[in-house]
Amino acid sequence: MRLIRSCRRIALGCVFAALLAPAGRAQSFEVKTHTLKNGIKILVQEDHSIPNVALYTFYRIGSRNERPGTTGLSHFFEHMMFNGAKKYGFGEFDRAMEANGGSNNAYTTQNVTVYQDWFPRSALELIFDEEADRIRDLSFDPKIIESERNVVRNERKLSVDNNNFGVLNEQLWATAYTAHPYQWPVLGWDVDIVNWKMEDLQNHFRMGYSPSNATMVISGDVSFEEIVALAEKYLEPIPSHDPPPKVTTQEPEQMGERRVVVRKFGQLPILQVAYHVPQTNSPEFYPLQILETILFTGQSSRLYQRLVDKDQLALFVGGGWDWSFDPTLFEFNIRPRAGVDPAKVEQALYDEITRLQSGGITDQELEKAKNIRTAEYYRQMKTISGKSNVIGTYEVFLGDYHKLFNAAAEYAKVSKEDVQRMARQYFNEKNRTVATLIPEAPAQKPQEKK
Amino acid sequence: MNQTSRIFRILLLLAGLALPAAAQTTGELKLPPYKSVKLKNGLTLLLMEQHEVPLISFSAIVGAGGVADPAGKEGIASVTAGLLRKGTKTRTADQISAELDFIGGQLGAGAGADSSSIFAEFVKKDLAKGLDLLTDVMMNPSFAPDETTKLLKQRLDGIKSAKDQPQAVIGQYYSAYLFGKHPYARPAGGDEISLAAIMRDDIAKFYEANYVPGNTILAVVGDFQTAEMEKILTDRFSAWPAKASAPSHVPDAAPATGKRLLLVDKPDSTQSFFWIGNVGISRTNPDRVGIQVVNTLFGGRFTSWLSTELRIKNGLTYGASSFFDRRLARGGFAITSFTPNATTERCIDLALEQLKRLHEKGLTEEELKSAKAYIKGQFPPSIETSDQLANLIATLRFYGLGDEEINTFYSKIDAMTLADAKLVIQQYFPLDNLVFVVIGKASEVGTVVKKYAPKVDTLSISAPGFGATAGAGSGTGN
Repeated sequence: MRLIRSCRRIALGCVFAALLAPAGRAQSFEVKTHTLKNGIKILVQEDHSIPNVALYTFYRIGSRNERPGTTGLSHFFEHMMFNGAKKYGFGEFDRAMEANGGSNNAYTTQNVTVYQDWFPRSALELIFDEEADRIRDLSFDPKIIESERNVVRNERKLSVDNNNFGVLNEQLWATAYTAHPYQWPVLGWDVDIVNWKMEDLQNHFRMGYSPSNATMVISGDVSFEEIVALAEKYLEPIPSHDPPPKVTTQEPEQMGERRVVVRKFGQLPILQVAYHVPQTNSPEFYPLQILETILFTGQSSRLYQRLVDKDQLALFVGGGWDWSFDPTLFEFNIRPRAGVDPAKVEQALYDEITRLQSGGITDQELEKAKNIRTAEYYRQMKTISGKSNVIGTYEVFLGDYHKLFNAAAEYAKVSKEDVQRMARQYFNEKNRTVATLIPEAPAQKPQEKK
Repeated sequence: MNQTSRIFRILLLLAGLALPAAAQTTGELKLPPYKSVKLKNGLTLLLMEQHEVPLISFSAIVGAGGVADPAGKEGIASVTAGLLRKGTKTRTADQISAELDFIGGQLGAGAGADSSSIFAEFVKKDLAKGLDLLTDVMMNPSFAPDETTKLLKQRLDGIKSAKDQPQAVIGQYYSAYLFGKHPYARPAGGDEISLAAIMRDDIAKFYEANYVPGNTILAVVGDFQTAEMEKILTDRFSAWPAKASAPSHVPDAAPATGKRLLLVDKPDSTQSFFWIGNVGISRTNPDRVGIQVVNTLFGGRFTSWLSTELRIKNGLTYGASSFFDRRLARGGFAITSFTPNATTERCIDLALEQLKRLHEKGLTEEELKSAKAYIKGQFPPSIETSDQLANLIATLRFYGLGDEEINTFYSKIDAMTLADAKLVIQQYFPLDNLVFVVIGKASEVGTVVKKYAPKVDTLSISAPGFGATAGAGSGTGN
């Protein structure tokens, strides 16, 4: 949105011509990088289209770094990172940021914890001060911990207890994994949320929040030089220590289909099917992305066509796989129509998988998937926020942000046979976990569910 | 599904309706220039260049939505929009999907209470193919009987599916209960009963009467040259025959008086979800900027009063906010949150205390300054992309608002005083007259919610519809 920048100039008394001149192409998206002495890598993408900045900090810590008894700690910790440090006390982090025009959020996955700040460039120095304060001197106030514990239990009630997709998906992962930490939910089991202790939190902070464990991405109305100067001033003095211990557990090969059923009040059933697939940083990445696109993207996709449109067995179908450090699941998430036996939908899904395995895909489908990926690439680059997110994601999960800009070339190399090979190799019965939610009538007597 | 965020995004979206927030005290933000053209058939074209990425976005608004549905057949506007890409005189639904997906394009349509809208986005090199599809679905939909039947049945199951998630349906229950006999009570997406009553002819008639060039605004924003795009669109859309149309007129609803409460029983619920409020304001309310500033502090951002008291200080919820849904006529205002069954009373009490405190104590100079900075600092990213801008300029035109809505936005914010805030609170934030909707487990929270209103209505979430007749007839009028 280059013209908005021009508009701001006008307001400041700059040349009118700036507004009318055709804006130059900004399609190369140059990224500059700098690594501080303590190990934080900083990536900067200058974009002066709006007077704002999106700053994303990725920490390589998530629920995979947890242990039984303290599941959900990474996510809880993410909440605590907003609850006060030495300079900006309880509530001050958000108050100062919002009073200066900024807002924030954060998210936790099985693999990473990501902090997002969106603010006008006038707040740039404040944001560095705040980010440094909380990684250097976070507070651990028992009273605040108790209050936040309830917030997180509420979040769990919202997205699991009172969300049938959430409750079923938790069971799917708990069933598909027997050894590896992906078996527990990112939110943690409720009983663990209730029981973790102050020292668990302090240990977790020490484990995950070394500057050397972070990657920071800044996109927006900044210069590389000013970012390096601010980073050297605020972040470089923070000492680094050891990164989290390596996650050594590997999930053993699955030897046969696993099934799990959840019976619960609901209007409609749910079917979730999953197969183990490799981690993001594997040669399978590009063919699996193409396979995902052919199966799920758009109303011409294979599964929409068959399950939603032709056979009218499902209200919707979605799925795919997430970015991950360790071998993960490729999921199929299906809402059967009213009155449709989930077993019938399941069989139709397997028919489609068999068709893919035996007949492969067409040239047209392959080209379509590549075109969709190209359009998707541009959509991610429309906003400073999208750029910070995608640059950071490639850097953290694929080890190098350059791969974002080489993706088109990598997709071009994927053949029909590669895609078919993925379906044959991974979508087989022995490697499969099936979770079904069957609605049941409400209990006659009020039941205590705590 | 394995990602969990600090702040629930849907709540942020709701808060966004009230108005996004921010900081920055210098200068005025100005809308990039764009050209406005009226074609001979009456179609309004708005064209704005944006060259950052090679994408072109279209946003069309047709001036008829759910309020134009015949009574008892709610959902027609919405189903009509959904069927546009499900077949034309020369293309089947499958052909449209195949052609669209092949170029990585996006094309969708929907309907709200006031209007219907169509959105499309294409990569620049595929513009010609994209326009083939966009013009075809807008001008020649066929409403094939099999596709119509299919979509109606899907929508019906969609309502059932939504009822498994209180947050997906509480808005419909609230509108029905708050607006009573006013047209805004009616669910734009329809319900289990009204969808079953809709025939193909109803849809074709709705299209013929309302999808008319003189009743349509089409904005295009992206990587093109204006003169060239104007010529292309003029050529393409001139084939759309001119026809008379009657834009919807919606009278303002009278605010509810007294207190009443609807409890929707969801027997497996471990939380109570609630909306509390009254009739709010229209999109063009002259005090809208001041209302936005006050609401930002009250319930429109993370450090708002509601979020601070209900979440940050007391851990009663994961999110609490308030918003004004601004429409052609006065839409709803609501305070919204959710809390475990056992803390339902404490959480609602605390929310009501904030409303009382707002009227009794009001705001401080420091708060006002913070809200102004917040709204200004957060505004630019909301008009950053070609699709956001296309939607913005089409929407401004639809509501009859000029570019000054954006171009004087910052100075209006700056001019706001504490005295203005006081007037805004008195006039637009309800205190004694309140409508409550709670979705929760009646066997656990049915007794405690009785204290909030002399009149309590109940519904089962499994019962068809959203209880449009349960409201105590708040009446209509100007």
